[in-house]
Amino acid sequence: MDGSGIVTETVVPVPGTRAAAPSLLTMNGIGKSFGSFVALAGIDIDFAGGEVHCLLGENGAGKSTLCNLVFGIHRPSEGAMRLKGEAYAPSGPSDALARGIAMVHQHFSLVNELTVIDNLLMGGSRGRLDRKAEARRIEALAEEFGLALAPFATVGDLSVGERQRVEIVKCLMRRPQVLILDEPTAVLLPDEIGSLLTVCRQVADSGCAVVMVTHKLAEIERVADRVTVLHRGRVSARSDRPAEEIPALVSAMIQRPAARSGEAVVGAIALAKRKPAGPRPPAGEAMQLDGVSFDDRTGVRRLDAVTLSIERGEIVGVAGVEGNGQSELGAILAGLARPTDGRWFAGGRDLTQASPREITRSGVGIVPEDRHAVGSIGKLSLADNLFLNRMRQFSRLGLIDRRRQMEKARDYIQRFDVRAAGATVAFGSLSGGNQQKAVLARELTTPNLRFLLAAQPTRGLDIGAIETVYGLIRDAAEEGVGVLLVSSELDELIAVADRIVVFYRGRIAGEYPADPVHREAIGTLMSGRSA
Amino acid sequence: MSVASRSAAPPRLPPGLAGLLLPVGAVLAAFAVGAVAIMALGVPLGEALTAFWRGAFGNAYAISASINRAVALALVGTGFVFAARAGLTNVGGEGQIAVGGVAATAICLAPGIADLPLGLAFLVPLLGATLAGGVWGALAGFLKVRVGTNEVISTLLLSFIAVWLLYWSVQSEALLRQPMTSSATLPESLPIPVTTQVPLLTGSYSSPVTLGLPLLVVIAAVTALVLSRSIFGFQLKAVGLNPVAAARAGIAVGASIVTALFLAGAMGGLAGGLMLQGEQYSLKAGFSSGYGFDGLVVGLLARNSIAGVIAGALLFGFLRSGGISMEMGASVPSALIDVLQGLIVVTIAGAAYYVDRGDRK
Repeated sequence: MDGSGIVTETVVPVPGTRAAAPSLLTMNGIGKSFGSFVALAGIDIDFAGGEVHCLLGENGAGKSTLCNLVFGIHRPSEGAMRLKGEAYAPSGPSDALARGIAMVHQHFSLVNELTVIDNLLMGGSRGRLDRKAEARRIEALAEEFGLALAPFATVGDLSVGERQRVEIVKCLMRRPQVLILDEPTAVLLPDEIGSLLTVCRQVADSGCAVVMVTHKLAEIERVADRVTVLHRGRVSARSDRPAEEIPALVSAMIQRPAARSGEAVVGAIALAKRKPAGPRPPAGEAMQLDGVSFDDRTGVRRLDAVTLSIERGEIVGVAGVEGNGQSELGAILAGLARPTDGRWFAGGRDLTQASPREITRSGVGIVPEDRHAVGSIGKLSLADNLFLNRMRQFSRLGLIDRRRQMEKARDYIQRFDVRAAGATVAFGSLSGGNQQKAVLARELTTPNLRFLLAAQPTRGLDIGAIETVYGLIRDAAEEGVGVLLVSSELDELIAVADRIVVFYRGRIAGEYPADPVHREAIGTLMSGRSA
Repeated sequence: MSVASRSAAPPRLPPGLAGLLLPVGAVLAAFAVGAVAIMALGVPLGEALTAFWRGAFGNAYAISASINRAVALALVGTGFVFAARAGLTNVGGEGQIAVGGVAATAICLAPGIADLPLGLAFLVPLLGATLAGGVWGALAGFLKVRVGTNEVISTLLLSFIAVWLLYWSVQSEALLRQPMTSSATLPESLPIPVTTQVPLLTGSYSSPVTLGLPLLVVIAAVTALVLSRSIFGFQLKAVGLNPVAAARAGIAVGASIVTALFLAGAMGGLAGGLMLQGEQYSLKAGFSSGYGFDGLVVGLLARNSIAGVIAGALLFGFLRSGGISMEMGASVPSALIDVLQGLIVVTIAGAAYYVDRGDRK
């Protein structure tokens, strides 16, 4: 945990509590510890039928843990839950489901090869399977909540938003009393977010308690009846009229005055964007993609003749809905995949067939989109992860000089503001923001760095960490590093990048200067319509 | 911000103590079951125990035989731990021992080897056995890297191939079978020359602990150091924990896998060489008789600790010797030892599961 040690609990006063529906689910004095790490402490909260109850908080605040306790994935270390007045201590998710608690996870649990109807019936049906009758039943249910659904489409062909709808219908089929949605809007297009929020409202109106985890304030403004803010595992604020109290909620979430409220992130980043009149960065090309194409194993073209050149000191943003070739481009630049066609260069060197080690040696830093699977090894220590690709520098007769490694690790930890109990703690125990800072520390210290790929560098990070991450990337650019910044948050790209290319179905669909006036045009391109 | 724990979690042992109590408790429990089984067989317990003691610790010869057995098991177990560090499960110890034995025999019997000076007469065949076992292990690594064959399957199947190669080589005069002078000539190799035998520490056949023991100590110490402190050990660990991240970090994942299985196999091969040149002196069809699988169990139980490997190997080494003696002296089937080993494995693995789960929740 971080070292500040000061936790002020500023509870927003609630004048005249609205007479809400009776509580469905109450949590009293709930605490949850993992080893010595206290994830939640002294949580009192209640969810009532008919309300959309948002859980707001930075990453690592304990929102997901709280959901997992309700859904029976974890058991509370202390405290008790009651469901409709009866003791509720689920032994696992199946028990929770049986008691009327359903949850839509961030990661979908659907079988892509099967049809929608088969996914929905999976596990829930017995004996003879009458798909047509079931499909009618499900369509009726979907219609009730305004969820358009094609029962006989194959899930793999659906968009992310449509898949999420399938997940929601899967939950609604059980007629739950409590529906939990863990950051449901993180993967959606702006249009889709709107309809999801409408669905949430309708489900709540049917008498169900909808619990939605989010850190997007605009969504809270639109849909939340009540908000509970978590900060470092404790309730830091509650509000019955969230739409009117956004600034107070923000400051309760980040525990510092919200000067810029909802625009805080973008504002903070934009400030960093103004280039100081310092020495000009070294000129020249940092990275070049020359007609790069990539076919996946099944022969589907994921990248199609992408040509792009990045100057030193320049930040180029890649906008686009996820799954339009960004991951494949990331894998190629990391040396984990080879282009089917075309070539790419960094600093004039052809790296098309290069190994990850050669790529690193050519001054290329990679912040992969999946920092758990590709960027780090959770069970190794922070110090080991800081030098994962450069451990040899500590070699003495083939043995690791741990003393020198620790010294250097402590230096990095300080320079990059990684907050951890020490250099030897397991990397996996750090919060997302600190993990990302550590990955950045490693990649930004690549010798002779001239190109950096930063793929989704702020995913799942809180406002404070986002500021730090973009500050570091900015600094690198000022020192002459060319940056390719892939993000699904268009506002962040506009704030940070110099220009933006839009990926759609593996092609560059267009390019714009990073200026808010082009926001709509970029959004249109992202959705596949021509501008 | 300390939160008083009022939960009903069971009291937890400190990890070090739990790590020690667990195996000891499991062994004692298994012994108790064994005692009950012996009585159920109608054999007086005292008689059986006397026979067991005689076989395991009765005299210098018995102790030496148990130690030699333990050395072989510990080598296989050390190899298992090496591979396990890279996330690999080497179940091919039996085959790696077999090819080691065949290679050692072939080299010992090759012309000129017996006359080599400076101990090379026994070192060269031992080295050959080590390399042969290593190649046998690396083969599985190569298959995994190239075509993705699961090493559990490939090392096991390669074991069958190796064991039948051994049968073939002692059945065919064109290979290693001794010349057939009569129909009673046994299907085994010629005895190896005395100079190619691994020297005994005491120099006396009445207490035949071989040079394998100090060799094992060195290998175990080096392995422990390499795994915990070296760059290579770090890379193996990275590959074992997350091959994709390891690859991105520039670690040669394929080479690490092949190397780890080579080393695992090499230790099995060395065990085979020591068994042949230090104990059996001629290659027979039943050369290994389960050492590879016992060694695998030792490695599994040690849970990645070299010290654990040594302890487990000693336990199983003495258990086997005692068990054989019990069968001969008190007519308790030596299969009882298999039962006890099985019980120990199940108890420790089961208890470990609960301990680990306790840590995670």
